[in-house]
Amino acid sequence: MSAKTKISVVDLRMEYVDENRGIRHIATDGLTLDVKENEFLCVVGPSGCGKSTLLSAIAGFLKPRGGTVSMDGRPILEPGADRGVVFQEYALLPWKTVLENVGLGLKLRGVAKAERDAVAMRFLDITNLTHAAEKYPHELSGGMKQRAAVARTLANKPEVMLMDEPFAAVDAQTRLTLQEELVRIWDENRLTVLFITHSVEEAVFLGDRIIVLTPGPGKVRAVVDVPIPRDQRHWATINANPQFVAIRDRTLALVRGLEAA
Amino acid sequence: MSAGFFRLGRFRVDLLAVLPFLLLILMWRTLPSLTGMPEYMFPTIGAVWDKAVELTANGQLQDNILDSLGRLFLAFLIGNALAVPIGIAIALNRSASDFLRPVLTFLQSIAGVAWVPLAVIWFGIGMGSVVFVIANTIFFSTLYNTVAGVESIPKVLHRAVRSHGGRGWALYSELILPGAFVNILLGLRIAMARGWHALVGAEMIAGSNGLGYMTMEAVQWYQSSTIVLGILCIGCLWLAMDQLIFRPLERRTVVRWGMVRQ
Ligand SMILES: Nc1ncnc2c1ncn2[C@@H]1O[C@H](COP(=O)(O)OP(=O)(O)OP(=O)(O)O)[C@@H](O)[C@H]1O
Ligand SMILES: [Mg+2]
Repeated sequence: MSAKTKISVVDLRMEYVDENRGIRHIATDGLTLDVKENEFLCVVGPSGCGKSTLLSAIAGFLKPRGGTVSMDGRPILEPGADRGVVFQEYALLPWKTVLENVGLGLKLRGVAKAERDAVAMRFLDITNLTHAAEKYPHELSGGMKQRAAVARTLANKPEVMLMDEPFAAVDAQTRLTLQEELVRIWDENRLTVLFITHSVEEAVFLGDRIIVLTPGPGKVRAVVDVPIPRDQRHWATINANPQFVAIRDRTLALVRGLEAA
Repeated sequence: MSAGFFRLGRFRVDLLAVLPFLLLILMWRTLPSLTGMPEYMFPTIGAVWDKAVELTANGQLQDNILDSLGRLFLAFLIGNALAVPIGIAIALNRSASDFLRPVLTFLQSIAGVAWVPLAVIWFGIGMGSVVFVIANTIFFSTLYNTVAGVESIPKVLHRAVRSHGGRGWALYSELILPGAFVNILLGLRIAMARGWHALVGAEMIAGSNGLGYMTMEAVQWYQSSTIVLGILCIGCLWLAMDQLIFRPLERRTVVRWGMVRQ
C-alpha cells in the first residue's frame, strides 16, 4: 500500500444555513482525515453525524465553511470527473438506457458513440448487466440499478470513487454479492475508494481502514486498521475469521461510544 | 386496457374512445326533433354536411383552415421559442427569477384575449393581431410549465451529471431539457389547446379570415350550419393534432422513460 495522500481533509467545518428562518446547523467541525492513494477507506458513524456532508465536500457539491479539502495538494472547488460519486439513490438518468447511462461520462468528454458503447458494454459485463443494456432505469430492480450506477462511475475512470451507502437500499442477498464484486473490481482497477456506510460489518469486510466519526457535529473518534488479506474476504468464510470478529466488535463498540479510542 | 380496437390505415382506434362520439351524433340526430328546436337555431346533420360540401367545393373551408393553422403554428413557434429559454433561466438563476417573475405574473393576468383591443391598434385587423394574441397565450402556458419542469429535476441528478464531468451546454442537453421534458411536453399541449381558444377568440374579434372569423361572420346571416361546421372543424383539428403529434411524442419519450404512467 502506497502511503501517498490522495485526499486530505483538514479541520473541516460544514454548515447548513437556512436564510429564511435564520437557522444554521453545524454538520461537521474540526474534521481531519486523509484518504491514501489506492486505499479503500470506510467511514462509519451514527446517523446524522455528517458522513454525507463530508462526501459532498470532497465531491465539490458543497463548500467548506472552514478548513480545507484538497486532492493531490490542490483545493477542491467544484465537482469533477476525477471524483466519481455513487449515490444511495442511484441517480441514473431516467431518459437514458442503461448503456447510455454507463456511457454518460464518456459522452460528456466527447468520446464518439461507437467507442463509448464499447467501453460501456465492458463495464456492463463486469457488473453482470449485459442483458439489461437497452432497458431504461425504471425497468430495473434495485440491485440492478445499483450495479448500473457503479458501472457508470467506473466507466468514467475516476481517480477516486466516493460511495454514499450505495448498498443500503438493496436486499441482504444482493448486498453480499455486490460487496464481493466491489472488492474484486477495486482490486483489479486499483482505485481510491471512500465508502460511507451504516454497517460496521460492511466496513470491516470492505475497508483497508475505517474512520469512526463522533455523533454530530462529526469529527474523527477513531481510525481502525483492517489488516485482513484481500483473498480472505469472502462472506462464506469471513465470519469464522477471529481477526474479522475482533475488529468488528471493537469498531462496533467505538461507534456506540462504549470504548475510548 | 381497452375493450377492443379496429385499424384505420396504420392507426389504431379504440372502440371505447369512439363510443362517446357516436352518442353525441345520436343526440344531435334525435334531440332537436324531440324538443322541437327550429333548424335556424340548431342545424341538422344533413344541413351541416351540405354546408361542408358547398364550402369545400368553393375552397373557402380549406382556405380558412389553412389560415388558422398557419397562424397557430407561427404563434406556437414564437411563443415557445421565448418561453422555454426564459423558463429555464427563471428556474436556474436566482437573479433572472427575481428580475422576471413579478413582471411576468403581472402580465400573465392580461394574457390572451384581453390584448385584442391593443393588438388591433398596433397591428390592425388580421394576421398580426391574431398571432400576437395566440403567441402571448402560448408563452405563458409553456413558461410556467417549463419553470416547474426544471425545478422538479432532483438535485441528485444535477450532482450525478456534474460529477461525471458535465458542464456548460452539456448540462442543458443531457440534464435540463430531458429532465424538464415531462412538464415541457405537458405545457406544449396545454399551450396548443389554449392557443386554439385564443385563435378562435382573436379571429372572432380581430380576424379577417380563418375558422373563428368564419363562425362569427355566419352569425350575421343566421347561418347556424356554418357555425356548427366551424366548431366541428376546430374540435376535429385539435383532436387530430393531439392524437397524431402529442400522444405519439409522449409515448416515445416520457412514457418510455417511465417518467409518467400511461
Ligand atoms: N440540506 C440540509 N439542510 C439542513 N441541514 C442538513 C441538510 N443536510 C443535512 N443536514 C444536517 O446535517 C447533519 C449531517 O447530515 P448528513 O446527511 O451529513 O448525515 P449522515 O451522517 O450522512 O447521516 P445518515 O447516516 O443518516 O445518512 C444532520 O444533522 C442533518 O440534519
Ligand atoms: Mg447520509
